[in-house]
Amino acid sequence: MGFSMLGPVFKQMFKKPWTNKFPAKYQPNNTTKYLADVAAGKAKINPPVPTPEGFRGKIQYDKEKCIGCKLCMKVCPCGAIEFKEKEKKIKIYLARCCFCSQCNDVCPTKCLSMGDEFLLAGADPYEKDLVVE
Amino acid sequence: MSKNKTPEEIVKYFKEEFKTKIKSAEIKKRTTGSKKKEFVNIWIRIDKSIFKPFVKHLCDLTFPHLAVVSGTDLGKTIELNYHFSIYFGQNLKEISLNMGVEIPKSKPEIETVCDLIPGALITEREKQEMLGVKVIGIPDSRRLFLPDDFPDDVYPWRKDEKGLEKYIKNLHQGAKK
Amino acid sequence: MAEKQTTKTTYQIPIGPIHPALKEPVMFEFEIDGERIIDVDVQLGHVHRAIEWTGMRRNPIQIIYLAERICGICSFVHPFAFVRAVENACDIEVPERANYLRVVHGELERIASHMLWAGVAAHEIGFDSVLYLTWEMREKVLDLTEILTGNRVTKAILTIGGIRRDITEDLKPKIAETMKYLKDNYKHLAHVYLDDKTFKLRSQNCGILTYEDALKLCAVGPTTRASGVKKDVRVDQPYAAYSDFDMDYMTPDKLTGEVNGDVYDRIITRLLEVKQSIELIEQAVDQLPAGDLVSEPKIPKLLNYIKKTAGEGIGRDEAPRGEVIHYVKFDGEHEEPYTWKVRASTYNNILPWIPMLKGEQIADIPIVAASTDPCMSCTNRVTVIDQNKRYMLDKEQLHKLSVQKTRRLMK
Repeated sequence: MGFSMLGPVFKQMFKKPWTNKFPAKYQPNNTTKYLADVAAGKAKINPPVPTPEGFRGKIQYDKEKCIGCKLCMKVCPCGAIEFKEKEKKIKIYLARCCFCSQCNDVCPTKCLSMGDEFLLAGADPYEKDLVVE
Repeated sequence: MSKNKTPEEIVKYFKEEFKTKIKSAEIKKRTTGSKKKEFVNIWIRIDKSIFKPFVKHLCDLTFPHLAVVSGTDLGKTIELNYHFSIYFGQNLKEISLNMGVEIPKSKPEIETVCDLIPGALITEREKQEMLGVKVIGIPDSRRLFLPDDFPDDVYPWRKDEKGLEKYIKNLHQGAKK
Repeated sequence: MAEKQTTKTTYQIPIGPIHPALKEPVMFEFEIDGERIIDVDVQLGHVHRAIEWTGMRRNPIQIIYLAERICGICSFVHPFAFVRAVENACDIEVPERANYLRVVHGELERIASHMLWAGVAAHEIGFDSVLYLTWEMREKVLDLTEILTGNRVTKAILTIGGIRRDITEDLKPKIAETMKYLKDNYKHLAHVYLDDKTFKLRSQNCGILTYEDALKLCAVGPTTRASGVKKDVRVDQPYAAYSDFDMDYMTPDKLTGEVNGDVYDRIITRLLEVKQSIELIEQAVDQLPAGDLVSEPKIPKLLNYIKKTAGEGIGRDEAPRGEVIHYVKFDGEHEEPYTWKVRASTYNNILPWIPMLKGEQIADIPIVAASTDPCMSCTNRVTVIDQNKRYMLDKEQLHKLSVQKTRRLMK
């Protein structure tokens, strides 16, 4: 039964698995206590695999350069960008963003760029970390 | 198997048989690649009365591959576009033939082609439920994509009163502060 | 067996398509006489998301991202077919370099998809070690995709009139490295699938689709090529840069010399296509011509041009599963298309299930259904009816039956 697979299966016993042990080697018994320890500096988190260049992560907005032309709102497929009328600047809701980076391409002053943060989970779509303005 | 006809000969083949019932025929050629090979799209619009004979005439020429039937709501009529392709199997010689037929909204009926091309069953069922077109002689007329408890007289692709406008909930106000 | 007892009672237990235990939303409902199936019925529609209706209210740039999310595995071919349809409708030219880059990404996706299918097919038979082997190879392909496009699955690399990202000189060694890894492991993969007697026992003479049936039911993709019909959009009609390469239809007689139309032939066809894709990528990267990436880089100007042009066009494309066709019609007054019609490749491959499953045993249903590579986003319910007894069997039980048959055959 599968003599052809016997070779690789045997070799696999001696090879190191590819999994990167992020955030910890084994699941902690109490997750909230573990996170509190990390905040206090008593425990460490293994970092995730570094992202390649050109990775489309959290969007970064340079407010000074923005001229309020509203082109990014026109091409956003998700409707994630809102215009602030009085200041003529924009507000991006990350809970709706699909990370396509089309707004980056359209912007005439190049004030939008994609960072490499991807650990963006949150419970409230309007919380401070998930709104970029 | 006879030699392949050129696009102009194909249009002539249909025009000789059906004469004035063919409303318009257009050949579009575009090139691609650095060797500039061209591909051909033929768009023919026909009258509803010669629909079934046209398809039979095409099957006599060579057995086509029916890709899909697309439907458009043009106001007073519904236009059905049958996208065929012929001469597949030979390197770089395939021609796409698109046949459009208009049916009035007052009597939206059309014959089935399932007896000539059995693979057309699924796309004909979709037209029945999405546009309200009645396909005469279809072997299986159940709903395909829409759930069984979807209201009966609502057709999602129509742009008139039978469309979906009543059912849309606009979420925009709720999502943004 | 427990299943026989359920048929003797007269109530049905419908385990619906959305169930936490099922991997794919596939529901089987059938009545059996002994172990043979007599007739098959097909029902669809569980993941219908009203995509075409949504698309008719958005401008073409937004529709590209909507089309990308029709399916996770075919996430390059749907935007590609849509973009080609818009370019054909509005007469927009595409530069040479963009055409070659589109070929590279399309073939990379084909390799990833066939690797996934190979693992799933092995899992249906019960051969789990091969599942891990093929998905390990697939990880390398996905890493390369992440370097080239920024994400593993939804690539966001197409735009109307060209492509968004370039392959610069420093990325070429990484492509060469991944291709070398794939070529080194390809031989072992082919040996496992084609020579190992587990696969041969389960898949030969099982789920046969004849040449006439494949032609009449308009089947597409590797399903129809395995029955001997020569249909491949890349070789039939020139699009992107495929006409510059020397390509041929991959039918199983290239390897074994004869065509049976069974599941074994479909395995052969897909493995041959993986080899063809690796060669195509290497050729395309070597012969990359210089030039622009996009014919019109300013997007507001492009949208304005589309707004004023009236026309209709179709875009056809060869997905890993078959032919994909999109139809777009513009009316010359709005940016949004007046009509958008999508036809994914699995729709045409559903009717061939009927002749394939008649006369088979129940334990063969998973491998026969998986051999046509149904895309999970075009999901369906298959009702198999035989005489008068009806009951429903969910996917977990079917999988168990299939694995048990393998163990029985191995003895």
